Amino acid sequence: METTFIPRSLGQPGFLSEVRAFLAVSRREWIIFTRYPSWIIALFIWPLIFPMMYILTARALSGPDGSGLAVFIATTGATDYIGYIIVGTTVWMWQNIVLWDVGFALRNEQMRGTLESNWLTPTWRFSYLLGQTGPQIISMAMFVGITALEFGLLFGVRLNGSPWMIGLMMLAAIPAIYGLGFAFASLVITVKEANAFVFLIRGMVMIFCGITFPVAILPGWMQSFAKWLPQTYLIHGMRAAAFTNAGIKELLPDLLPLLSFGAFWLAVGYFTFLWLERRARKTGAIGQY
Amino acid sequence: MSQFAVEACQLVKKFPARPGTGDKPLEGEPASSQKKKRWLFGKKEPKAMFTAVNGVDLQIQYGEIFGLLGPNGAGKSTTIRMLCTLLEPTSGTAHINGYDIVKQANDVRRSLGTVLAGERSIYWKLTGRENLEYFAALYHIPPAIAKKRVDELIERMELKDRANELVEKYSTGMRQRVAIAKALLARPPILLLDEPTLGLDPQAARNLRELIAQLKQEGHTILLTTHYMEEADQLSDRIGIIDAGKIIALDTPEALKRRIDRKEIIRLEVSGWQDYIGEKLRAMREVESLVARRQGETDLWEVNLQATDSRVVLPKLMESISQNGTQLVNMNIVKPSLEDVFIHLTGKALRD
Repeated sequence: METTFIPRSLGQPGFLSEVRAFLAVSRREWIIFTRYPSWIIALFIWPLIFPMMYILTARALSGPDGSGLAVFIATTGATDYIGYIIVGTTVWMWQNIVLWDVGFALRNEQMRGTLESNWLTPTWRFSYLLGQTGPQIISMAMFVGITALEFGLLFGVRLNGSPWMIGLMMLAAIPAIYGLGFAFASLVITVKEANAFVFLIRGMVMIFCGITFPVAILPGWMQSFAKWLPQTYLIHGMRAAAFTNAGIKELLPDLLPLLSFGAFWLAVGYFTFLWLERRARKTGAIGQY
Repeated sequence: MSQFAVEACQLVKKFPARPGTGDKPLEGEPASSQKKKRWLFGKKEPKAMFTAVNGVDLQIQYGEIFGLLGPNGAGKSTTIRMLCTLLEPTSGTAHINGYDIVKQANDVRRSLGTVLAGERSIYWKLTGRENLEYFAALYHIPPAIAKKRVDELIERMELKDRANELVEKYSTGMRQRVAIAKALLARPPILLLDEPTLGLDPQAARNLRELIAQLKQEGHTILLTTHYMEEADQLSDRIGIIDAGKIIALDTPEALKRRIDRKEIIRLEVSGWQDYIGEKLRAMREVESLVARRQGETDLWEVNLQATDSRVVLPKLMESISQNGTQLVNMNIVKPSLEDVFIHLTGKALRD
């Protein structure tokens, strides 16, 4: 009887292999990110352009002598209106960028034709999404740093609080912000087009979370709704950490809801991914572009 | 270990149909019944379904090259996508290297190297080497082994000089070689190659066919889908001919061709072909099948005719063709090819 030599696979499954796969996804994303120089330019220009729209509006509304600012200070308790605005707009930009980058990560792979190649490997499929977050968080940290630098140099904005507390607030917001991004990414591979959802979510953050105004000025029902959005707590906490020298104790009322929302949105993101990935396998949506 | 590298039993895949493309209703069932049927309490009416794969049975031995041959839309790619776990079958079972494609999907992926979508399956913004290093990590190859394996494959695929250039600067053939190297990274026992030579120039296609033959020598089992009959004929130990989601014939290329050995294959080149001539010829008792295909944008047609007795057919053929401006340009009586087998079985050409 003829014997056939059967090659033995070189793959060695295990926890370490999964970690290496996750790091490989992050590394790939970072390399591709740096090969589009336009993104690096956007990193320097966007932090200035978007908040400028609100800063100039605020300057116009405060009157030629800036007397209107007294009303703003009385309402918000913040003396630096530019700093107040850039915290809100930065959080909005963060959520916006996560929705476009992480939210469309799988869809972009699907359109490039590489999603199937990734799906054909034995790596845990959620790693492809998780792996996207590493470079995204690094680029967002750069974005925040560049924002602080540019507004410090050009407008004299100074942080009175601890950068560690600002970092802590941002860290606590990661599960909620990215969990929403994961749920979104899973949805997009099935429905293919989701620009309208991005506009809806970022519009909600813009209106309800008080990116340039205190939530307290909203009508009662809008304030109630704002409590269900994690970005509300992030913006409030970051302003406290950046400009009022708040410590952990003062930040807890924002940190705890943020972490709870984080657990919720991560779970939603993960289970939505599992459900829609299975559905896509049944309908053949993974290979369709 | 399983006796077969690939084993599929009554594999079926149905998709929700686009308007006007659903399965035909069953005999006796009115055409509109699917639409009119409603569940109680206003629930959604059942969706019309399109059956892409309809009860495929396959048994592929270890070390074998198995060619799945069929026209576009026959169900080749859907079958491959189910076997490599990208699609879940609607019904039926399949095992790869002894692992169930639904219940043990990760073990299946570990046993497989798959080439789908060719050049689009790799990252154009990464270099050839970066692509292979990335996928090596995804296939869980330890870094030290991965490095050696990537070097080895770069050498083998003759990419050494350009391995550190971005894939976007490669030719189609080079990208296809990277895609194949990617499939070989983990040295999987089974390879699924979906139209691997599609879009390649003749030289690159020839090189790839040589590589596939070498991979068989190294012990890999290969399931190859193609609509190039010469490729299937040249490479495959056995061939399954698939049409409308069903395997309609399965045997060695020689045995398949022997099925129509007694038939005579007449190949004509005709200018100014008219459909009515085809109808006239098809009506002849001695003509078993006839397929006419236009050659590009020219006025020349290739007419493929299977007959029981060419001596009876030829005079009538000449008479029918040489009228109303239609001219016979060339004529051959040839040995049956796999395409003739396909025409014999389905009444249509492979590339229709």
